[in-house]
Amino acid sequence: MNLFEKIFNYQIISRLDETGSFALTAQERTWLRMTLNHAASTEAFAPDTLGKLEEILQNEDAADIRNIIIEKAKSRERQIYHPLLRVLRRIIMRDQGIRLTYRIKHGGIKSNQSGFPYKLEYNMVKREWYLLWYNTRHHALMSTKLQNIVAAEETVLSAERADAVKDLLRRLLEARKEHAVIEIIPAYNAELSRILYAFSCFEKSVSYDEGSNIYRVHVTYLADESEFLLSKLRFLGLRVRIVEGDRLKDRMSESASKALSRYGVGD
Amino acid sequence: MARESFDKEIRFLRMLALAGGAYSRQQFADRLGISVHTYDKTLRYLKEMLSTLQQGGPQEHGNELSEGLRYNYYESADPLLLFLFRAKSLKETETIRLTLLLTALQSQERTARDLQDICSEQMPVDLPLPDEKTVRGDLKYLEEVGVIVRLSGGRPYRYIAANDLIDRLSDDELLDLFDYVDVIANTQVPSVQGYLLRSTLKKALIKRGYHPDTMETHRYKYHYHSRILDEAHLYTIFRAIRHCRRLHFLYLSPKKGKNYASQNTNPLFERETEGVAQSTLPLRVVYDHQYGRWYLIGHSPRLGLMKFRMEGLTQIEEGEPVSEEEFARRLAAAQAQLQHSWVTDTLRPVQVVARFFNPDRSGANFVRERVEAQGQWGTITEESDSTFLYEITVNGIYEIKPWLRSFGSSCEVLEPAWLRREFIAEWKEIRNYYESVREDF
Repeated sequence: MNLFEKIFNYQIISRLDETGSFALTAQERTWLRMTLNHAASTEAFAPDTLGKLEEILQNEDAADIRNIIIEKAKSRERQIYHPLLRVLRRIIMRDQGIRLTYRIKHGGIKSNQSGFPYKLEYNMVKREWYLLWYNTRHHALMSTKLQNIVAAEETVLSAERADAVKDLLRRLLEARKEHAVIEIIPAYNAELSRILYAFSCFEKSVSYDEGSNIYRVHVTYLADESEFLLSKLRFLGLRVRIVEGDRLKDRMSESASKALSRYGVGD
Repeated sequence: MARESFDKEIRFLRMLALAGGAYSRQQFADRLGISVHTYDKTLRYLKEMLSTLQQGGPQEHGNELSEGLRYNYYESADPLLLFLFRAKSLKETETIRLTLLLTALQSQERTARDLQDICSEQMPVDLPLPDEKTVRGDLKYLEEVGVIVRLSGGRPYRYIAANDLIDRLSDDELLDLFDYVDVIANTQVPSVQGYLLRSTLKKALIKRGYHPDTMETHRYKYHYHSRILDEAHLYTIFRAIRHCRRLHFLYLSPKKGKNYASQNTNPLFERETEGVAQSTLPLRVVYDHQYGRWYLIGHSPRLGLMKFRMEGLTQIEEGEPVSEEEFARRLAAAQAQLQHSWVTDTLRPVQVVARFFNPDRSGANFVRERVEAQGQWGTITEESDSTFLYEITVNGIYEIKPWLRSFGSSCEVLEPAWLRREFIAEWKEIRNYYESVREDF
């Protein structure tokens, strides 16, 4: 099996697009067959569809490449699929509204909240699905775990209203963006690869000053993601220092002092 | 015939993705060990490929390729780096011929002779007409990669596109399949073929009248998108493991910079002359979820267990086989050695004990949740209302240390004593980094 097949060539793909033709390779079908063993498949498909897929794929190579892969430091997989995904993605696709009942963090239930569903978001660290939605009454962008949703039903929304809310959501998300600049301490430049890999899950760019041999990572993140960014920075320890982002700096400083007090070390 | 190597493109794209925007043309070329001319040529090729693929598409990312690949997960779940796997170079006549054949076979069975007629009618006049042998060769290739099937029945053989996976599903089922492939490709490894399939299914849905936005409902946060570059070697390694064969390659150690006093050495991308010819019996690959990086685990007769970062493998080739018995023995030994590795470390096992502090606020105990989810084989015991103990026996502390540190003041290392001292020293130094901040309070 070769991932650089002629048939994947960009010119072929673009010519096929022009005529509305498809090139489905055995590689792709083999991959699909392999993944259908995953428990998620029973939640992703109606039983009939799953049966049909298994039948279509029965003659594909059954060798499972995952047998040679050892996954390390993986977060336990709480869920890959959630039964609500199929329902919610269809409401989002139709640009319709939603009425939600869900459990809240500190106990208790919020009933019949009206809103507009925007995206389904999977957090790779927590290994869980969230619904991003706009709460019409509170005029707020919400992120609710699918696990906490008790009931969800579609409500009718006009196309104009849907477009307006989508516009608003894009602006709300943009307004939530924050920036920080992280400097790599030059003594650790030999570990540059490792450090840049650690930041590769963020929206970022890198700058390099040849004179001082200093790399700086410019990270853009949403305000509610600052905790995750901080945990990454603590993960990297002495290798990096925040040079722009006052709130993050305060938090790191506080974190260090509090950690030292755990060890009985004062100022 | 030598297999076309994509090592250069892979390293090029990795550098764009990881260190995007950091270097001037000259610096970039220097670090890859190529000339500025080659840099320009490669970039031009990648840009051309990207713009061809994006024609008529809703996405416009990547237009500033030279600035680096900026990843904005809110724009699209389309994996930008996938285009690496579309880089195989082909003659124009071949791309036109293969497309003509495949298009003609989309919904109608045809024989080689029918197809030759179609080529004669439809090939652009300035290109040579394919002879019978060429058409048969193309059909053989298309059948081998599985995009067409030869129907049962005698000669002359009839062929048709292998599109059952699309054609036999209703609109609703096809949408479910797209979502499934999207979710699995984004959350599991390996994923390149999943992404290729996702891209085909997306086109199939658009052809059935779905709006392109339909395929943009899911997002994946904190994704190591550059991991798919290293999957390029995965199938070569898989085949070698299945056949108990050694692998030969030129290894560019990303860690080598550590051995040098000079800080100017950029370990990310070393010149090829700095590579070391290696030969190893491949046993397993390790995927590290903390960084989104791959390792090859192998055995060398002289050095025993070997660990290579996948990104350092170039010019990889299959070598001579070993007996199945030897392979099984080496594999069992490697698995035993790696059993207590946080990632791949096989240093002496150490017993680590840490105290974790529950958050002060009521509500979800995110400290406990994270230790349970990420603590691998470590065990948890209750200590008090506000604390719990975590114990683990792990090969060396270098790989677990960053994880423990990432909890900040919610984690206190108790044992071993020297590790506890190291944590105290590090926190002191980190506090010094922000001394000026503290003075502002």
